[in-house]
Amino acid sequence: MRKIGAVLIDLSGTIHIDNTVIPGAIQALNKLRATDVKIKFVTNTTKESKRILHDRLTCIGFTIDKDEIFTSLTAARQLVDKRALRPYMLIAEAAREEFAGVSGQDPNSVLVGLAPECFDYEHMTTAMRILLEGSPLIAIHKARYYKRSDGLAIGPGAFVTGLEYSTGCKAEVVGKPESSFFHTALQDLGVSAAEAVMIGDDARDDVCGAMTAGLRGILVKTGKYRAGDEDKVDPVPSFVADDFPRAVDYLIENGLSLP
Amino acid sequence: MGCKATLSLGPSPVTLHCEPTRKGGRMGEWLRSPIRGVLLDITGVLYESSAEHGTVIPGSVKAVNRLRESGMPFRLVTNETTTPTKVLLDKLRSFGYQLEERELFSPIPAVVKLLHQEQLVPHLLVHPKVEGELRVGEKGSPASCVVLGDAEDNFSYANLNSAFRALMVMPRPRLITLGYGRYYKHNQQLQLDVGVYAKALEFACGVESEVVGKPSPAFFNQALADMGVQAKEAVMVGDDISSDVEGAQKCGMRGVLVRTGKFTSSLLPHPTITPDCVVDNLAEAVDQILAAKGKN
Repeated sequence: MRKIGAVLIDLSGTIHIDNTVIPGAIQALNKLRATDVKIKFVTNTTKESKRILHDRLTCIGFTIDKDEIFTSLTAARQLVDKRALRPYMLIAEAAREEFAGVSGQDPNSVLVGLAPECFDYEHMTTAMRILLEGSPLIAIHKARYYKRSDGLAIGPGAFVTGLEYSTGCKAEVVGKPESSFFHTALQDLGVSAAEAVMIGDDARDDVCGAMTAGLRGILVKTGKYRAGDEDKVDPVPSFVADDFPRAVDYLIENGLSLP
Repeated sequence: MGCKATLSLGPSPVTLHCEPTRKGGRMGEWLRSPIRGVLLDITGVLYESSAEHGTVIPGSVKAVNRLRESGMPFRLVTNETTTPTKVLLDKLRSFGYQLEERELFSPIPAVVKLLHQEQLVPHLLVHPKVEGELRVGEKGSPASCVVLGDAEDNFSYANLNSAFRALMVMPRPRLITLGYGRYYKHNQQLQLDVGVYAKALEFACGVESEVVGKPSPAFFNQALADMGVQAKEAVMVGDDISSDVEGAQKCGMRGVLVRTGKFTSSLLPHPTITPDCVVDNLAEAVDQILAAKGKN
């Protein structure tokens, strides 16, 4: 049994869906905070900046510090700065403030986030032409689909895959399920991967991704979860819970340890 | 001027005639064995596509006439799905091409046949101009497949999402794509082709595409059968190194790449595909084919 020192918690689909709280999630989070584990909220949500996301969560009743949120947008910004890139950005309007100060003039790269409003033929064709010049393709994440209030919707991963095929390039992915994302998230908590657990609704990107990075993984059956998802990933989740409150109860019942 | 040599290439000796080509030097390797039929791509070989009418490629009309006059059977094999075949034919005729409808092989009639044969009801993501031809099956029946064509601006997020959702609820999802190209030339610039969106849906839904059109062997074989010619006796001339050249070679045909259309010099040398020949344009390909014709 391994003692858990840190819990990484997915946001969309795990503790909320848009402006709806997953029933019991606020109380469950409070219960978790009463223990001595360190907590970080990790998300591939790229449709809005950290500030807007934090506002939304606060509005619907969660008590979360902005610094407790680590997004794939943050990870992408770090990469863009490190390599002094000038990206052609297929990014939601509400996410652009994360890239304030980044120049898109004479682009030498393409950056793709979750941006339905940018996934039209014209934008995609422009992106292809830039990539054909040999520029790198950075994908904030490669989700196949995501859960919206009106059902499942095709994710940016599909468009990234299309661009890879068109140009023969390979995208660099900065968000889940890349191991680097989970390790960076744990960095300032001072907890190793082996002492951490990820809780999320995406069997592949949340749970399998985390476990491949060395963390434990708890899959919750809310959000984008579909029956049988736990059987489609390797390694299988450390635990499968009906929802976030049940996942927290399970952790606490087991003395904050997981096999 | 020429030479004659007798080689042993198996059970019986073969006599080769080496003739200089127009560019000098020996006859290309690809012309050694008989050519009894030619398949021609359209966009990028016969004409360059643009928003208005497009422009004919110099020498191509004469080249096609020469094929016809010489008695060399030929067919047009296109993945063009932004325009109905009749409209495409009219356009080609306006450039001076003398063509009959039965000489043109397009994915649209091929997929309509498939839909009828397998009693499939399609969810369409195609160009508005060809939608009418593809509305098959009983109205109101749930879709049993998605048919993807070159929808151009119709490749909106909303439409991709509808196609995605349609596939996700099918008990046995089938994704039929009219071609698998990566890009093509239009208005003098490269733009995305249908294959990009096929890959996108494959990834999102975890399904495999069924390709109707190039480079599907069934599509090429249909044209070959129509000419009564075997693959090893046929040459495909096209501007797409994958769909045209590699597709042809995988069927047993020879594949010739033209430097018109979507060709860019950065394509060659290609890591995996070696065209049987690379020529400037269709005129050059036909010159070589007809020069060799008399010799085989």
